[in-house]
Amino acid sequence: MYAIPPKLTNRTIVVGLSALVVLCAVGPMMWAISTSLKNEVDAVAAIPALIPPSITFANFLTVFTHKTFLVELFNSVLYAAGAVAVALAVGIPAGYAASRFNFPAKRPLMLLILATSMVPGVALLVPTFYLLDQLGLLNNRFVVVVILAARIAPQTVWFIQNFVDAVPRDIDEAALLDGASHRQILLLLVLPLIRPGIAAVAVIGAITTWNDYITVAVFAPDSVKRTLQVALVNQVFDSVGISWSFTMAFALVSSLPVIVLFVLVQKWFIAGLTAGAVKG
Amino acid sequence: MVWFLPVVVLLLAVSLYPTVFVIWMSFQKTRFYDLTGFVGLANYVEVLSSRTFWDTTYTSLAYMAGSLALSLALGVFAALILNNLGRTGKLLRVLTLLPWTLSMAVVGTIWLSLFNPSYGPIGHYMKQIGIAPGLMLGDPGLALWLTVLVTSWWSFPYVMVIVTAAIQSIPRELYEAVQVDGGGWFPKLRYVTWPHLIPTLGSTALTLGILYLTLVTLLIVLTGGGPLGATTTWSFETFRGTVQAQNIGPTAVYSIVVLVANIVLGVVYIRATGRVSA
Repeated sequence: MYAIPPKLTNRTIVVGLSALVVLCAVGPMMWAISTSLKNEVDAVAAIPALIPPSITFANFLTVFTHKTFLVELFNSVLYAAGAVAVALAVGIPAGYAASRFNFPAKRPLMLLILATSMVPGVALLVPTFYLLDQLGLLNNRFVVVVILAARIAPQTVWFIQNFVDAVPRDIDEAALLDGASHRQILLLLVLPLIRPGIAAVAVIGAITTWNDYITVAVFAPDSVKRTLQVALVNQVFDSVGISWSFTMAFALVSSLPVIVLFVLVQKWFIAGLTAGAVKG
Repeated sequence: MVWFLPVVVLLLAVSLYPTVFVIWMSFQKTRFYDLTGFVGLANYVEVLSSRTFWDTTYTSLAYMAGSLALSLALGVFAALILNNLGRTGKLLRVLTLLPWTLSMAVVGTIWLSLFNPSYGPIGHYMKQIGIAPGLMLGDPGLALWLTVLVTSWWSFPYVMVIVTAAIQSIPRELYEAVQVDGGGWFPKLRYVTWPHLIPTLGSTALTLGILYLTLVTLLIVLTGGGPLGATTTWSFETFRGTVQAQNIGPTAVYSIVVLVANIVLGVVYIRATGRVSA
């Protein structure tokens, strides 16, 4: 049996190279898991062991009982959930209008959204810090949510627009004839139909904002306003007292929600990555 | 119009206004975080005539080019290999994509431990085969390339997913034509798969190029821009200037350099692909 596309027929080579690829990707993560299960002494052994000589869950217990852990977890959840909620609240009406309405200002408005998506967050660090400082808005949770929401807003609008495009127009035309307003059509007809799409944008947005370090680190460095990501980096900087087994446990705990979300929605995640990225 | 109002207000306040403000800031004389008056192009002259600027330019471009070369090569390789495995390949791709979902803070932490010269496994195995590991990320000649390696580990799965989608969209008839002419897997790869991948690779390179040019967190964790500035890119310099806040005028100029580079790549992307989103 032979296949038409360029397939290597030697099974051993294929299996061997595949294993190598997967190992390259997963190996460093296995090292992280292994380190998190070691005790302090084994974590700095002269001969590093991939399999811990003795397994301990003490590091995870220390992470969960750490005095600032709950605050950091709360902030991470609040910022990610808040940013996604705000992005959806502003993105859904705009995406619907972009799909369904035609009016003269539409093109400049879409161009504005496109233009802002090309402004990198790092270029705005210094002006935003300056402005927030002047307004006394540094270390403000609401401000962090709004800034993170603006980062994911353009992609949210485009995704929603595509999802609404996929809903047949006959449905809203029938509803319009029955006297429904566009508001009612969006809320009662279109939204339920594009729910899976909304879930996908929400998850992708949540992963992006959960993983953010720089926004929170620069604009809300206060110890009660920071997130798990910021706390992790601060531990790494504490080069005198760093405990690698504890830090790895912390890194894994802070990644767990993202990995769970990714595994739950990997199909959409991959569809989101490749959306339009392949030229036909 | 009203439907767009909320998103427009949000983007005007958070993105557009600071963008205009940073341009204005770059023409101001500054002391720490105080703006003390218009100075024309003085900040630009100061930055562009400094050695640091040209060092960071080299570092930015070398970092971007190195990361692109490695992540594209690894990504294409991984896609071609795992594409041989059907359903198992699909499962393995999900597993391989995991690094891409991790935050740069976590990626940096893991690799900092792997590269640790005293008790990290990489240094240990180098000693085993008789190479002195040296300072690893603390070595000014090596730090940038190790950073490139970490960046590629994190982003090659993205390339793999995009390339896989491109491979799977190639019509079977084209392969059949090569088959009829007696071509094996290499001619198929060379004359069918490869030409189809080129445009996808181009757009992926632009998307990742933008990402690499604007990335800071990974550099903060891995090297802090050092040693001796060896990994200080334009974006890292922007971050450093913002938090150290000794004189923010030149920092505003670096911000504008990053902004312009980003817009140039973004416009090339849109011209080349006719698409707006990455």
